[in-house]
Amino acid sequence: MIRRTLRSWGARAEVIGDSMRPRLRAGDWLLVDPEANVSRAPAVGDLVLVPDPREPARLLIKRVSEVYEGGQELWVTGDAHDATTDSDSFGSVSASTVVGRPWFRYWPPSRLGRVA
Amino acid sequence: MDLLRFIAPQRSAHAHCDIPCGVYDPAQARIEAESCYRIIEKYHASDDEVFRTRAIAVKEERADLVKHHIDVLWHDYFKPEHVEKYPDLHDTCWKAAKAASSVKHSVDLDDATNLLSLIDQIDEMWKGSGGPEKTRM
Repeated sequence: MIRRTLRSWGARAEVIGDSMRPRLRAGDWLLVDPEANVSRAPAVGDLVLVPDPREPARLLIKRVSEVYEGGQELWVTGDAHDATTDSDSFGSVSASTVVGRPWFRYWPPSRLGRVA
Repeated sequence: MDLLRFIAPQRSAHAHCDIPCGVYDPAQARIEAESCYRIIEKYHASDDEVFRTRAIAVKEERADLVKHHIDVLWHDYFKPEHVEKYPDLHDTCWKAAKAASSVKHSVDLDDATNLLSLIDQIDEMWKGSGGPEKTRM
């Protein structure tokens, strides 16, 4: 747990945009476990941080809604279905590109807690 | 405030939405194709040359919109995964676009009927791929 928190601290990220509302809001600060894929493969319902296939320098936060091809490919979507650009626009993403799994919100204090 | 700066993340996780916002529905194509069908009916029912000329002009316009809506579904909505699920997806969209061209050329109701049935096939693939849940509010 402590090791997970330490390594997640180095990969922490700020949420930009509203496509994950209501669970995540713009301005939320999250701990992101960069080794989440090592312990187990991404599963349906997981939050993931993945490079935007159309602009790899930009990281997207989305939720896995389908896993296929033996776990190699992920269909990722936003929680706010009417305000999201996701796999419905850019297709599936390779599971190997997942940068990490956000699991804990440490800011703002009023919304502190697990997000996964 | 210094503490906040210290704990602030160094990177951004974009939960973003592009514009356009991904609303797709074959109903758009269907409505324009139904217009074509009705216009052809009215064309045949009329003796008024001016009306008939206007009917042709409007049909041309509507059929063009059908083509546009089919193209948007084909290029923007459907993804490789959908082609895997529906191997005749490309062929159906291609035939539907061709059928829309036929409706532009002719005043034959059969052409309009054929176009409607192809749009309905696209609609089934859209529904089968979760289109209503994924793209409509």
